[in-house]
Amino acid sequence: MSPGPADQSERKPLDGGWGWMVVVGAHISIGFAYATPKVLSIFFKEIQEDLGASFSEIALISSIMLAAMYAGGPVSSAMVNRFGSRPVVIVGGLMCGVSMVTASFGTSIIYLYFCIGVIGGCGLSLNLNASLIIISKYFLTKRPLANGLAMAGSPVFLCILAPFNQYLLDNFGWRGSLLILGALMLHCCVAGALMRPVTPPHTPSSCALEMTVEEQPNNGKTRLKRSCMKSAKTFLDLSFFKDRGFVIYLIGNIMFIFGAYAPIVFLTAFAISKGVEEYSAAYLLSIMGFVDMFVRPGTGLIANSKWIRPRIQYFFSFAMVFNGTCHLLCPLIESYAFLVVYAVFFGIGFGMVFALIFECLMDLMGSQRFPRAVGLVTIIECFPMLLGPPAAGLLVDIYGDYRYLFFMCGSVILTGGIFLFVMNIYNYHMLEKEKQNQVRASEVEMKQTPEAAMGHTEPEAQEKNGVLRDTRSESAETPN
Amino acid sequence: MKLLWAVGALLLSCWQASASTAPNIITEPTEVSNQTSAVLRCNLTESNLPIKGSHWVHNGKVIEDSKSTEASASIVLSLNKITHNSGGKYECVFLTEPEVKQTIEVKTLPHVGAHKHSEHANENDKGVMVCNSHGYPLPTDWTWFKEEEGSQKPIINGTTDKYEIKSTPNKTTLTINDLSMENDIGDYVCSGTNELGTSSDKIHLRVRSRLAALWPFLGIVAEVIILVTIIFIYEKRRKPDEINDDDDSGSAPLKSNSNANHKDKNVRQRNSN
Repeated sequence: MSPGPADQSERKPLDGGWGWMVVVGAHISIGFAYATPKVLSIFFKEIQEDLGASFSEIALISSIMLAAMYAGGPVSSAMVNRFGSRPVVIVGGLMCGVSMVTASFGTSIIYLYFCIGVIGGCGLSLNLNASLIIISKYFLTKRPLANGLAMAGSPVFLCILAPFNQYLLDNFGWRGSLLILGALMLHCCVAGALMRPVTPPHTPSSCALEMTVEEQPNNGKTRLKRSCMKSAKTFLDLSFFKDRGFVIYLIGNIMFIFGAYAPIVFLTAFAISKGVEEYSAAYLLSIMGFVDMFVRPGTGLIANSKWIRPRIQYFFSFAMVFNGTCHLLCPLIESYAFLVVYAVFFGIGFGMVFALIFECLMDLMGSQRFPRAVGLVTIIECFPMLLGPPAAGLLVDIYGDYRYLFFMCGSVILTGGIFLFVMNIYNYHMLEKEKQNQVRASEVEMKQTPEAAMGHTEPEAQEKNGVLRDTRSESAETPN
Repeated sequence: MKLLWAVGALLLSCWQASASTAPNIITEPTEVSNQTSAVLRCNLTESNLPIKGSHWVHNGKVIEDSKSTEASASIVLSLNKITHNSGGKYECVFLTEPEVKQTIEVKTLPHVGAHKHSEHANENDKGVMVCNSHGYPLPTDWTWFKEEEGSQKPIINGTTDKYEIKSTPNKTTLTINDLSMENDIGDYVCSGTNELGTSSDKIHLRVRSRLAALWPFLGIVAEVIILVTIIFIYEKRRKPDEINDDDDSGSAPLKSNSNANHKDKNVRQRNSN
């Protein structure tokens, strides 16, 4: 009897109750992960004066932190699969706290690279991936909403930390501020404490996904340990590239990430070049962040509705197209009022995409394959994220005009959105065909083993409007 | 004899000719000192050369509005409000072959401004205060004072290790080493003097205690530890009940509900036998 999709070996997702506390924990954790590299730039000027480094040397701190955060994805996913989310987030929080505290005593720029960049970045990567994975374990029917709420942590923490960091800098200097920021990041440990494990720890299934479960625990313990190490090593599992849905998602994502961050980096400069004064230009980013804060949970709520949930991949491609169109229309703007409108629409588009970005991966992969998938996705996303803004900056340098930057970013994102839309139609069509073949083939089995009949691959199961998952949870709720 | 006389007359006329064609510019006034407004005039005299036009130059940069193509030997530039920015060297330029120009100096009081009016530094660290100056002529002398009980005490460079003053005509820097919270907090005045007078600005220095950030840090760490402890205790208290509930609901769909599923209308696409 073949085991069904590995989901069945775990309990059904809670979809509520303690799950909402887990969402709070994920909110905090993701908030720190995305906001910290950005708000650290507030300290850069003082650090630059104190340590006597050049501006590009200082800016490298943020880049190293972001790179470490994304590149640590596979390791983080491996650790979560082995130990569960809670210990990983607690360790991540401790690493972040320690990194900031040790950085506050730094006297050279290399020391800061190591403390903030490497250790801090690794801590954040542990936090980020573990939070996403535990949401996929706790939620199914309400998962888009949970994702939207958790991802809203990024703009919320950005809006809170930015002025707070300025206040800290004025009152305590950069060293004191890093010390206090380190203490604040220990709240990730609190977030980790909230992430109660779904299954009790040390079950064989948590580690040996492919290994047979029939091994007796006593004899097989050593063998299981070795198999754990093997599965950890093969964590950068390239077999994902055979999955059509995954590859489509990955390509669309790479295109989005490449064009997503450059407009944010250059928006202020673009506004100033159009004659807007400095404070008003900086205000645009705050408007964008503020709108983002509300759009993410809102998008989660919309994506959760029964009309959108089955077509969530199309909603994601719509969000990308919206974002790309916004950028393409931006160079036509001449006045400040329209720039504000652009900032609002940018915030809407950005928030929509980011609320859905991991939800769509969970939708494609299912909660069992999601950990490894997300690790692979984050490490691959590292490259467009690091290359995007400098490439855009190069365009500005060559042409001396910000228009081409917006054209490039907008067209890349728009193309990505259209690509996703078209390829998803194709993908669903192929899945439909495959499912029909499988249904015909397994009709005999269905008579004896109803559970095996439910045992379809994740994408097909999801494809059935998530109704299948819903029914399983519904039937589980019927009392025995 | 006649030949000598002819050569002599030729030389004399040449000398006279060259003397009479040397252009001369008369400026009025020759120098402007400490005035709120002025009118600069340049008169080109003793020149037979054709004048193609004229313009004025301020500190090496041509004033676009003053460009003229009139063949006038007398040009005027009005300065309505003289501030430290409008001080400097003004040149009137006549576009002849070759060009002739003359300079008028407009002198103002120096404008002294602090780089930042409020400076922070850490205890036992060093504090740096900077003052800049704009205008013409730039200050030749800079002095720093510390304000104590209403009077200003001059800070003299070089007497102690504590104070270091580095000055250039347009910038002065006061560095205080080994700051102490009792002695060094307060207002500092930088004062720049040029030939017309003196001008100054004030900077407030705040000294942060070395351990200032430590108390909030310990407070937040304590709060985090308390929160984590509360969460774990809450969980341990509820754990026995929760585990039983979860086990039941988790294992339910795996084994037993096949019959129940048939009754559930939504499942019909799967369990169509």
